[in-house]
Amino acid sequence: MSPSRSTNASTGPAPSPTTGTARRESRLAARSLTLAYEDRTVVHELDLTVPDGQVTVIVGPNACGKSTTLRALGRLLKPRGGAVLLDGTELARIPTKEIARSIGLLPQTPVAPEAITVSDLVARGRQPHQSWWQQWSEADERAVTDAMSRTDVTALAERPVDELSGGQRQRVWIAMALAQDTDLLLLDEPTTYLDIAHQVEVLDLVRQLASPAADGTRGRTVVTVLHDLNQAARYADRLVAMKEGRIVAEGAPGDIVTAELVATVFGLEAVIVPDPVTGSPLVVPGAPWTPSTPSAPASSVSASTSAPTPGKVL
Amino acid sequence: MSDTRTPEKAVKSARVRPAGYAVVKAGPRGRFLLHRRASVVVTALVVLLAAVCVAYLCVGESFVAPGEVVKVILGQPSSAELVVGTLRLPRLVVGLLVGAAFGVAGALIQTVARNPLASPDIIGISQGASALTVGAMTFGITSYTVLPYLSVIGGVAAAALVYVFAWRGGLHATRFVLIGIGFAVALRSVTTLFLTKGDYLVAQQAQIWMTGSLNGRGWSEAAPIGWTLLVLLPAIAWAARAQRTVTMDDDTATALGVRLGRVRLGLVALGVVLASVATGTAGPVDFVALLAPQVARRMTRTAQIPLLSSALLGAVIVVLGDLLARRLFSPTELPVGVLTAAVGAPYLIWLIIRGHRSRSGGTA
Repeated sequence: MSPSRSTNASTGPAPSPTTGTARRESRLAARSLTLAYEDRTVVHELDLTVPDGQVTVIVGPNACGKSTTLRALGRLLKPRGGAVLLDGTELARIPTKEIARSIGLLPQTPVAPEAITVSDLVARGRQPHQSWWQQWSEADERAVTDAMSRTDVTALAERPVDELSGGQRQRVWIAMALAQDTDLLLLDEPTTYLDIAHQVEVLDLVRQLASPAADGTRGRTVVTVLHDLNQAARYADRLVAMKEGRIVAEGAPGDIVTAELVATVFGLEAVIVPDPVTGSPLVVPGAPWTPSTPSAPASSVSASTSAPTPGKVL
Repeated sequence: MSDTRTPEKAVKSARVRPAGYAVVKAGPRGRFLLHRRASVVVTALVVLLAAVCVAYLCVGESFVAPGEVVKVILGQPSSAELVVGTLRLPRLVVGLLVGAAFGVAGALIQTVARNPLASPDIIGISQGASALTVGAMTFGITSYTVLPYLSVIGGVAAAALVYVFAWRGGLHATRFVLIGIGFAVALRSVTTLFLTKGDYLVAQQAQIWMTGSLNGRGWSEAAPIGWTLLVLLPAIAWAARAQRTVTMDDDTATALGVRLGRVRLGLVALGVVLASVATGTAGPVDFVALLAPQVARRMTRTAQIPLLSSALLGAVIVVLGDLLARRLFSPTELPVGVLTAAVGAPYLIWLIIRGHRSRSGGTA
């Protein structure tokens, strides 16, 4: 959208299309989606096409409707207007159990049944594939085993979920969503409550899920809401920036993340530099507040000697 | 620290099954998950219940030897035919059925409300049954063939009201319990109003009914509740499975393809019918529906309240309670509800204290 893309991200991990065949296909899309709680409209006539086999990250300031949009994509919220389409059919017309075989969703603050063990919880992700007569199958066992090893929680299998640390618990929940074995995966702020190492671990896992397998089959489609703009820019194939219930910009992070966009969406003055590791855009906010700010009264603390660059104050 | 760059490597390691469960094959396609510890608990409870039943039939104003009891049950001629076969056995069967129904009802309602305090005798179902029954009594309807049906109607109506008032674009668990408690209080005062307006003798009769008693119950009372349980058995089997997902938060359950609104309504409706029928049969035997599921769950350590264990434990509590109620102050016979309340009330207080502590003190 704007040419402030600083370097050509040659080593960037983000857009790595191996096959150009099914690139523009999309199973999940929103068509002039309007979402409201009671009589407060949160999202206005939003159009969104989720590209298959890619990581789409929705960013935006608090209360911009990004989580609400994600909930609607996962049929947790009924649209006030417009529709969410899965393979061209309105979600409202598809049986919920059938949707659950295509779309997995991890809410922001999931609640586990009291005293449940890790493996029991992960196994419940198989619910949409089971029936009263078939409470457990080979496929269930394979999916649960695989999901737990991918998220590195196999060793915790017998532990009660209540006793886990925040990071472990989040990985267990992701394992449950993975065990559901869906083509599409919606994650609502999966890195909240995690320290930086675990955040990176979760996001790496997301990338891994979306990457094509060795035999060339397409990876999973992931849509996630993230708070951290820099992480979003690092991990997204496609970035969607929202403000006040509308999409302001969408595209590859390198194409859309500019100082102007950050100013429009977040109201923040920032400098965009290339990420030293990935080359993706890195948002560096203006200098922090210091007592030496020109507008500050001189009578305050005696630190008004050498003023560094006063940053970019609005 | 995060050297997990080998996605395919660890997959081949040990297969993971839900911890504590065994997979049981039934027929070519049937595969069931059976909780190991729960199976042990069920077996133990069956043995305990059998022992309690034998004791119940033996002990009374006259002691009957276990051998004679067995003879009567097997239909062989015995000198204890009248005492055991006509007096004690039907009453025992009513006690078993009422206890089991209360146990399952409590388990289902606690599951949906996600609250151990939610049970039919706390959220207004028993009170609705009482209000209508006592009201009918004061208006001169004392026939024991009519009253149980009124009781069922009262219980279901009260539950429907609570459900409707607690509904706001979805069922909110806490609101469901609080509104239920409100209705319970209101309905209790309606009952009190009837009692004070009514005839003295009727009031006394109503009072005994309201404590919950098996006194004078026989085959004619056992049949309706027995049939109800039998007819609802498939629904109870469905509920045991449906419970698994309802215990999660709404979003997660919906994402797993559960039609939460319908499933919850189904579970509550089943619980309400069972509780109402049990109340219609024996009056509101307090605390059984509260106590049995919670104790059962602590025994099995399952992630959801075990239905079969709750039913068995409910039966044990009612039968044992009635045995004690008959004998403790003999020849005076207490209503079984007095006994269950004496055990249940302290337990309720303990639950509240414990719940409060675990909420204020962080999780370990």
